[in-house]
Amino acid sequence: MLERRSIHNIDWLLAFSVLAIAAIGSGMVYSATVGGPLSGLAGKQAVYLLIGLLALVLAVSIDYHTLSELSPVFYGVSVVLLIYLLFFGRAIANTRGWLELGPVNFQPAEMAKVTTLLALSSFMSRRRTAELGFANMASILAIVGLPVLLIARQPDLGTALTFLPLIAVAAFLGGIRVRTISILVLIPILALPLLWNHYLQDYQKVRVLTFLDPARDPKGAGYQVLQSKIAVGSGGLVGKGFLEGTQGQLNFLPAQHTDFIFALLAEERGFLGSMIVLSLYFVVIYRCIAIARSARDRLGVFLAMGMVALFACQVLINIGVVVGLMPTTGVPLPLMSYGGSSLISSLAGMGLVLNVWMRRLVN
Amino acid sequence: MPWDYRSSKDFKDFYEERRLHRRITFIFVLLAGLFLSYLSNLWYLQVVNGENYRRLADNNRLRQVVLNPLRGTILDRAGRPIVRNRLSFNVLLDREKVIDKEGIIRTLSRVLNLPEGTIRDRIARYKNRPVFEPVIVKEDVDLSEAAYLESRRLELPEISVAVEPKRSYEQGELAAHALGYVGEISESQLSKPRYAGFQLGDVVGKAGLESYYDGDLTGQKGWKQMIVNSLGREIRELPAGRRPVSGNSLRLTIDLDLQRELEEGFADKGGSAVFLDPDSGEILALVSRPAFDPNIFARRFSASEWGSLMNSAAHPLQNRAIQSKFAPGSVFKIVLAVAALESGKAGPGRTDSCPGYAYIYGRRFLCHQEGGHGTIAMVEAIKKSCNVYFYHLGRDLGIGLISQWAHNLGFGSRTGVDLLHEEAGTVPDEEWKRRTRKEPWYPGETISVSIGQGALEVTPIQMASFAAAIGNGGVFYRPFLLKSREVRDGVEEAERVGEVVRRIHLKPSTLQVVKQAMWEVVNQGGTGTRAMIPGKDVCGKTGTAQVVKASAGVKSEKLAESIRDNAWFVGFAPRDKPRIAFAVFVERGGHGGEAAAPIAQRVMMKFFEKQEHREEPAQIARTSQHP
Repeated sequence: MLERRSIHNIDWLLAFSVLAIAAIGSGMVYSATVGGPLSGLAGKQAVYLLIGLLALVLAVSIDYHTLSELSPVFYGVSVVLLIYLLFFGRAIANTRGWLELGPVNFQPAEMAKVTTLLALSSFMSRRRTAELGFANMASILAIVGLPVLLIARQPDLGTALTFLPLIAVAAFLGGIRVRTISILVLIPILALPLLWNHYLQDYQKVRVLTFLDPARDPKGAGYQVLQSKIAVGSGGLVGKGFLEGTQGQLNFLPAQHTDFIFALLAEERGFLGSMIVLSLYFVVIYRCIAIARSARDRLGVFLAMGMVALFACQVLINIGVVVGLMPTTGVPLPLMSYGGSSLISSLAGMGLVLNVWMRRLVN
Repeated sequence: MPWDYRSSKDFKDFYEERRLHRRITFIFVLLAGLFLSYLSNLWYLQVVNGENYRRLADNNRLRQVVLNPLRGTILDRAGRPIVRNRLSFNVLLDREKVIDKEGIIRTLSRVLNLPEGTIRDRIARYKNRPVFEPVIVKEDVDLSEAAYLESRRLELPEISVAVEPKRSYEQGELAAHALGYVGEISESQLSKPRYAGFQLGDVVGKAGLESYYDGDLTGQKGWKQMIVNSLGREIRELPAGRRPVSGNSLRLTIDLDLQRELEEGFADKGGSAVFLDPDSGEILALVSRPAFDPNIFARRFSASEWGSLMNSAAHPLQNRAIQSKFAPGSVFKIVLAVAALESGKAGPGRTDSCPGYAYIYGRRFLCHQEGGHGTIAMVEAIKKSCNVYFYHLGRDLGIGLISQWAHNLGFGSRTGVDLLHEEAGTVPDEEWKRRTRKEPWYPGETISVSIGQGALEVTPIQMASFAAAIGNGGVFYRPFLLKSREVRDGVEEAERVGEVVRRIHLKPSTLQVVKQAMWEVVNQGGTGTRAMIPGKDVCGKTGTAQVVKASAGVKSEKLAESIRDNAWFVGFAPRDKPRIAFAVFVERGGHGGEAAAPIAQRVMMKFFEKQEHREEPAQIARTSQHP
């Protein structure tokens, strides 16, 4: 399994960046919750970090080709759990996304991210044609679409949407024609008015409108975005200091240990702190792409690039919401937001990428 | 970086490999661009606009809390407190600490003697308030209840007792109309420039001295800066801020002893009275009945209490001493006498014969004495209040001269007392009748006015001021209630001296006649005998008046002596060097000599008794100011 030689082939820069972000995240969770009713969460997050590291080591240890062979099993288990949730899921904040396992709850949707990535990469590596045909495209849509639909039914649209970059990256790297891309981009743009008038719920419209103009409703829907921007902006160049952020410590900042944790960081650590964390995220993405380029086979390429798609999109969406560039969606910041399921799945996914790097050279 | 996909066995097609390579690069560049734009956005938010957002964050977290000053106290002329600020105790329930809601409601119900339903209602009223804001379960509880709850803080951690200053009118209804009351500022007051800086909920003077001297009593607000969280809960205090400055105390001209004597003299009768120092205009006592208890305005009192005060037919909130307008009745005969003597139209020796009635302008006017007074001269006509004498005198003087002298003697215009909403009353004449009624003056009206009826309207404070001017020889002082005020902590301004509004020249002979007549009214078996105090030479004049209706016709005198009439007694004492002047008005009191004179006597007896026991220092200073 884990050969001695492989230890020397760990991508230390990637590993360090991932751990650094997770450690900073635990610190910010502490700052977000200290002295309040949630003050135990920082300790729990540290425990999740340890469990996540175990998952990472496990994902590195087993050859990714073996994992690919097993991917139908993992994928199947995820889908069964997601179906089970629709009937027996524990509702937290109106979403039946939680599975109760004794004292802890976990979100199968987070696990499904990794298993879907594995199943998709497995499929993409086995196909032999140079062009992306209709049958291939349909398979991609089916593999990703099944968990997406199940998660959207919970209903957790935000989490479901984070799967979509997998389709895009698989199709793009699988060889979809530029002409087809153009059509695929045009259709949603043309369909937008239809979508707006017939399919979006009122609260979703409010979110979009509020995003376009947060001052529209400063005490209602725009409140979160406004307070988040105030937190980020008031951090200035060097920040107000650890545990000194007024927006966070006085609870003006919403969901500050989960979706808005980056705002807390920006407030307490200023532009320098947010720049460092943003750079660390970029290093992670940069290393994943580099690993994809040096992968020894297409399975490795798709695993690494799929992880890039999942990871980068979540980071960009989350921070985009925090700084007011996007409407509120409820996507956690990978590796930093409080939450065991997200942390563990992110670390397991990173384990897969490290796995690809470690086994890039053919024996 | 190793980049050797050409050696990979899985890739057969070089073209496909190159495309994959290009597309990975495209993704990398796309993501790099997005990250850069995010970074520049953060730079813009945090560094370029950081100051703006920091200000917004401060707006969020800092709250200026206004600290209300204590209102100034109000003292009587001797420095005895009449209005103070008392500590009241409110029982608060901290909903955050409540574990057993039913249990605590039962406990509160038992301790505070309130029905459980009431407590439940009060808690329910706070449903939409932040949970840390305590519920006021009961306001202004007894000290014993407060002490009981305070001693059980350990067992009942969710209950606390908060101390709040409340306006306290120590003497209850005593002098209620002079003092006035306080209440929460109204919307209309808020829009006035005088109340700049006030907010809804602030307590301001609403009537009486509380309102007139509100600027002195209010003091200056202070403030402190609190750090608050998103729910508005105060987390801690910042060192910045200013302490509130308490309002200044007022020392009144009112003498509590005389005031109490006067109130007791009225007992349960309605009416009003003013007692003045004739040499300065200081108001020694002022009463208006029925009264109200100003303390109920200091509480957040119930709608029913408010309604009963506002809608009562007796109008307890009206300050009758300055606002009620009545005919002066026979008191006005003094005005006619002065007018006749000063104008030379008649001397004291003018005699008339009273058969009990008189025919003037073809109409029969009655005297109150059946069978008449016989042949009668001026002093005796005043003493016996003979109507026929003054019908004829009035007819000879004419309404112009009567009206002129009524104005000279202070009627028809406000005295300028330091209270709001004083009425001016009415002195009718031909021009007034044309202006207001669009009718000519009928000669018969002059006859009614001659005995103080008709359209004449005077206020009790005008009557007192008039009596003082007769007593002191023609000097009108502005009546006032504020003797001195605190200008800053513990330092009083100089005592106010009388302000002369008008000096009228009266011949010594006129004064001699009028004073003699008024002295005889009390001391020689006249109508005011019941005000007599041996050795004090009380001078006075009785009067009876019906409530002035819109148009008082000539027939009013027929009702003049009916038992339901209002009684005046107006005068001063002692005759030669008056120390006190007064007007007492008793509603439905019947004859002035019966109802009003004993009240005046009672207060004057107290006044002279106090003077003999202790010569006030103010008394000595005053002699030099005498005109």
